[in-house]
Amino acid sequence: MEQENQSQEETAQQPESGKTSAPAPLRSIWSGSITIGLVNVPVKLYSMIYDKGITFHFLHKTDGQLVKYVKVCTKEDKIIPWNEVVRGYEVAKNEYIVFDKAELDAVKPESDKRIRISKFVDYFSVDPVYFDRTYALLPDKSKDAYGLLLKALERTNKAGAGRITLRTKEYPALLHTYKGALVITTLRYAYDVVDPHDFEKLGKLEEPQKAELDLAVKIVKDLSGDFNIAEFQDTYMQRVQKLVEEKIKGEKITIQKAPEVEAKDLMVALRETLKQLEQK
Amino acid sequence: MIENIDELSKLTKVKLKNLDKCFYPDIEVTKGHIIEYYIKMAPKILPIIQNRPLVLTRYPDGIKDAKLGKTSFFEKNAPEGTPDWVKLHTIYSPTSKRDVHYIVCNDIDTLIWLANLAALEIHMPFATIDDVDRPDFLFFDIDPEPPATLSDAAEVALLLRDNLHDRGLTPFVKTSGKKGLHVLIPIVPQYTFEEVRSFVHKVGVELAKQSDIVVSEFKDTKKPGKVFADYLQNSPMRTMVIPYSLRPTPEATVSTPLEWSEVKKGLNPTDYTLSSVPQRRVTPWKGIFEAKCHLEI
Repeated sequence: MEQENQSQEETAQQPESGKTSAPAPLRSIWSGSITIGLVNVPVKLYSMIYDKGITFHFLHKTDGQLVKYVKVCTKEDKIIPWNEVVRGYEVAKNEYIVFDKAELDAVKPESDKRIRISKFVDYFSVDPVYFDRTYALLPDKSKDAYGLLLKALERTNKAGAGRITLRTKEYPALLHTYKGALVITTLRYAYDVVDPHDFEKLGKLEEPQKAELDLAVKIVKDLSGDFNIAEFQDTYMQRVQKLVEEKIKGEKITIQKAPEVEAKDLMVALRETLKQLEQK
Repeated sequence: MIENIDELSKLTKVKLKNLDKCFYPDIEVTKGHIIEYYIKMAPKILPIIQNRPLVLTRYPDGIKDAKLGKTSFFEKNAPEGTPDWVKLHTIYSPTSKRDVHYIVCNDIDTLIWLANLAALEIHMPFATIDDVDRPDFLFFDIDPEPPATLSDAAEVALLLRDNLHDRGLTPFVKTSGKKGLHVLIPIVPQYTFEEVRSFVHKVGVELAKQSDIVVSEFKDTKKPGKVFADYLQNSPMRTMVIPYSLRPTPEATVSTPLEWSEVKKGLNPTDYTLSSVPQRRVTPWKGIFEAKCHLEI
């Protein structure tokens, strides 16, 4: 989403040292209210999920300037402006029905600035395969209604199931609590999730033998513990950060390259092997 | 470069391509390096895999982080576009109910062709096309379960060697290139796989009685710190990775034949790689087929 990207770029602050979570964005991307029956709780919605630990920008190697993407017509092989781009829906191979923006805008769902909660469910009754993206909700104007809803959900261990329209897409969503705050997780539609039994390879599983199952269960029990996300470290990011620090200090990084194999090397090796094979 | 390619094409029928493509990113080994490796090792590889139907593991884009999805595939059937000079052997597969055309690699050109296909790993069965149901090798797969290591596998292999010597048999050993060891005995092909398998299992059971760390039964294989003396591969068209095959490890380790004197504590799979193995002076499996044993079961 464009708006989210903007807000991410504005938080150029580094995470505090020793802190494992990501920096909070400065700007909200949506404001409206949670609607439960006749009750309204005004909230602002903030992005709270980052997709990458580390970001690189593409630069032109020779002058160090940012590169940009352009749209090129595959037939004319020349750059074309945005206003000459329309959307095509492929009806058959290489056959498209064309839409312009106004036509599609007319059928897009309207964002009505409401998170409509229709019922309350157990949070754990929703399988995580449906979870799409989580957003933080912060109180807008009054904190009382927000605090009340938060406490009620914490006390009952429930989550609100409902709908939200973000930009131009309507999502099923789950309103729940996270570390003493209200958050909303958008959900995927059923049509976007595969049923594993549709993989032919899964087939029908045989019932394991009792002794084997007992052993497997014992191993699971022996290795059981509490989940702690801090136990998982992104070692790639750590290595990249180390490289970044070295580069900032001006240390030159040398990459060890194996010498390239040329046809000549292969020829030398092959002559030697052919000679050895003949001798046998 | 172009002239050299022309020159090269006089020496081999294989049209080599993408020599600069990176296959082992951590050590920047390209397809050219892999072809060069297999060319150098051919005199040691070809006698062993002679007349055996082969199974390949191909890595068209090299070895990669498994998180990126599947990067390799098993191939039994000769792929489309197999040149007509490549020898094939057809075996009917009862499970898939069709003929499978296996590749047989008896010459250097076929080996270069396999390397050029990005078949990093080559696997062979324990019988030849003369009679695919009568094994000419007994096979013990010594497979340590972490925290057990190759060092522990070495200890078990030495016990196994002594047991086999006492029976008047001559075992040969190689690293798997990963964490285990492979022990083989060349035999005169006269028994069925079933007969051979029960013999190998019997020896495993004896070892398990001698040593606490050895397990001889499949159900115990995942017990931490144990070493499994695996007999189950002694079956028709079950395979092991061939001697000197590369493995898909970051260091480009090799399944390396060893002298028994090299099998000891501290044995480390990463000492045997694409760059170090061609420099080894020894040929531990030399004359392996002259040492064929008459097994008495």
